[in-house]
Amino acid sequence: MLKFLKQVGDYTKEVVQSAKYIGQGLSVTFDHMRRRPVTVQYPYEKLIPSERFRGRIHFEFDKCISCEVCVRVCPINLPVVDWEFNKATKKKELKHYSIDFGVCIFCGNCVEYCPTNCLSMTEEYELAVYERHELNYDSVALGRLPYKVTDDPMVTPMREFAYLPKGVMNPHDLPAGSRRAGKTPQEIVAETQAAQAKVSAITEG
Amino acid sequence: MNSGIDLQGTFIESLQGFGLPAGAAKAIWMPLPMLIVLVGSTVAVLIAVWMERKVSAAAQQRIGPEYIGPLGILAPLADGLKLVFKEDIIPAKADKWLFTFGPMIVVIPVFLSFLIVPFGENLLISDVGMGVFLWIALSSVVPIGLLMSGYASNNKYSLLGGLRATAQSLAYEIPLSLAVMAIAMMSNSLSTVDIVQHQSGYGLLGWNVWRQPIGFVIFFIAALAECERTPFDLPEAEEELVAGYQTEYSGMKFALFYLGSYVNLTLSALLVSILYLGGWEAPIPVGLISSTFNISDTTPWLQVVTGAIGILMTLVKTYALVFFIVLIRWTIPRVRIDQLLNLGWKFLLPVALANLLATAGLKLTFPAFFGG
Repeated sequence: MLKFLKQVGDYTKEVVQSAKYIGQGLSVTFDHMRRRPVTVQYPYEKLIPSERFRGRIHFEFDKCISCEVCVRVCPINLPVVDWEFNKATKKKELKHYSIDFGVCIFCGNCVEYCPTNCLSMTEEYELAVYERHELNYDSVALGRLPYKVTDDPMVTPMREFAYLPKGVMNPHDLPAGSRRAGKTPQEIVAETQAAQAKVSAITEG
Repeated sequence: MNSGIDLQGTFIESLQGFGLPAGAAKAIWMPLPMLIVLVGSTVAVLIAVWMERKVSAAAQQRIGPEYIGPLGILAPLADGLKLVFKEDIIPAKADKWLFTFGPMIVVIPVFLSFLIVPFGENLLISDVGMGVFLWIALSSVVPIGLLMSGYASNNKYSLLGGLRATAQSLAYEIPLSLAVMAIAMMSNSLSTVDIVQHQSGYGLLGWNVWRQPIGFVIFFIAALAECERTPFDLPEAEEELVAGYQTEYSGMKFALFYLGSYVNLTLSALLVSILYLGGWEAPIPVGLISSTFNISDTTPWLQVVTGAIGILMTLVKTYALVFFIVLIRWTIPRVRIDQLLNLGWKFLLPVALANLLATAGLKLTFPAFFGG
């Protein structure tokens, strides 16, 4: 009899505890309702891509030396480097350069291995077209400057999470001129110099 | 307060004034309350779907539908329209008649149950003497439809899903009935109007939830399980059996399931508010306010105001419960089928029985409080 009552008591305790857990969960869910939504309402609000964002590739025609390293390093040998050896100037002459962004995987190998830094990655990701042949960018299209979110009058630019001040989670309603969390390189240099000066002052004095 | 504005009488009399015989006038009156309730329940379901989308979005720090109509209120309409235009497929080698009638049998009893839902003392289709019992009996027809849908889909996973859904439905029917029985015992009547009137007169303090707290929790959990809402939505848990018994359905038949689940939800919330939260009673009784201002009960404008307040209170309570149910959906993880059935048979059933016995004992000892 006593054992049965003890079982009932234990079971009731478990029930009360689970009810408490459910209540805590409900308070969390309810608390979420008073927060501002984090939705980035594209196309009226767009995220500002980060500095190393791997978007569309940019090509400087005049810097290219037609070494074809980008082709050899590309996982699919994608860039089409149309060059011809000019016997008069004894140099390679680049006639045409193209990358098909319908096939490119945006890995960035070509950018990393280019010896003259004529290849770079921009922040442009809106490459949608109506026909896939329009995605085959020639050197003119590759040399165009990318679309900037901050220049578009119809768009409110939103900072990504890494660029928000410390403790801020929502890019909406950020006060103008907010600094991102962390120190700039100049500040770190100044700090280390100050620490070194202190150490040398102690060892000398 | 049984006298007052008699909508039926005045309608029939006005039609008779146009020269129609009494029988024809009555026959024209008959479908009107049913049509109003049908339209009303569909609009209520649309509001419930909108609430689900917006409240779910708010709980997840999103916005939800925004551009479909102001504040996204046309979103459920867009949902329904999309389903109307979709192709209605019957799978190969599926039993055509069972496949077609399955959703109907799942949905029609729910709409029929709106017969007994009162929005005011005389604002219901028909004061059936055994109101809540009719609802429980009708909701017992639903498992047959689930079995039909699961079997007729010619898909072994749908069959399993249908069997699981039926097991769930049957398991939670008994605690539901026992909780309702405790209420009926306290109110000395099965009629929903009598149950609400038994809670009237004391405002907020007269609600059944104070006298039957455990019964309220049991009824709420059992109603959630009957509606197949999280945490009991195993039949339509997308990761488990795709969509369970609803997998092979598309177009209008799926719309019936979808609509039916939200109608069931709204109906359950309505019944919880009627049985436990006082139905159309305001927290401060309207009779009290009108007697302090010495206005007689039968003045027409007071009747209209009382009726409007009654409808408003019922809807406020119902949608507060729907809000709570949507919040629960995003709080509690889904239960497994064995945990689900354990909860129904081994926990809720004994607790509901104990609740019934306790209510019976309390009714004998304190007849004034627990219904003499």
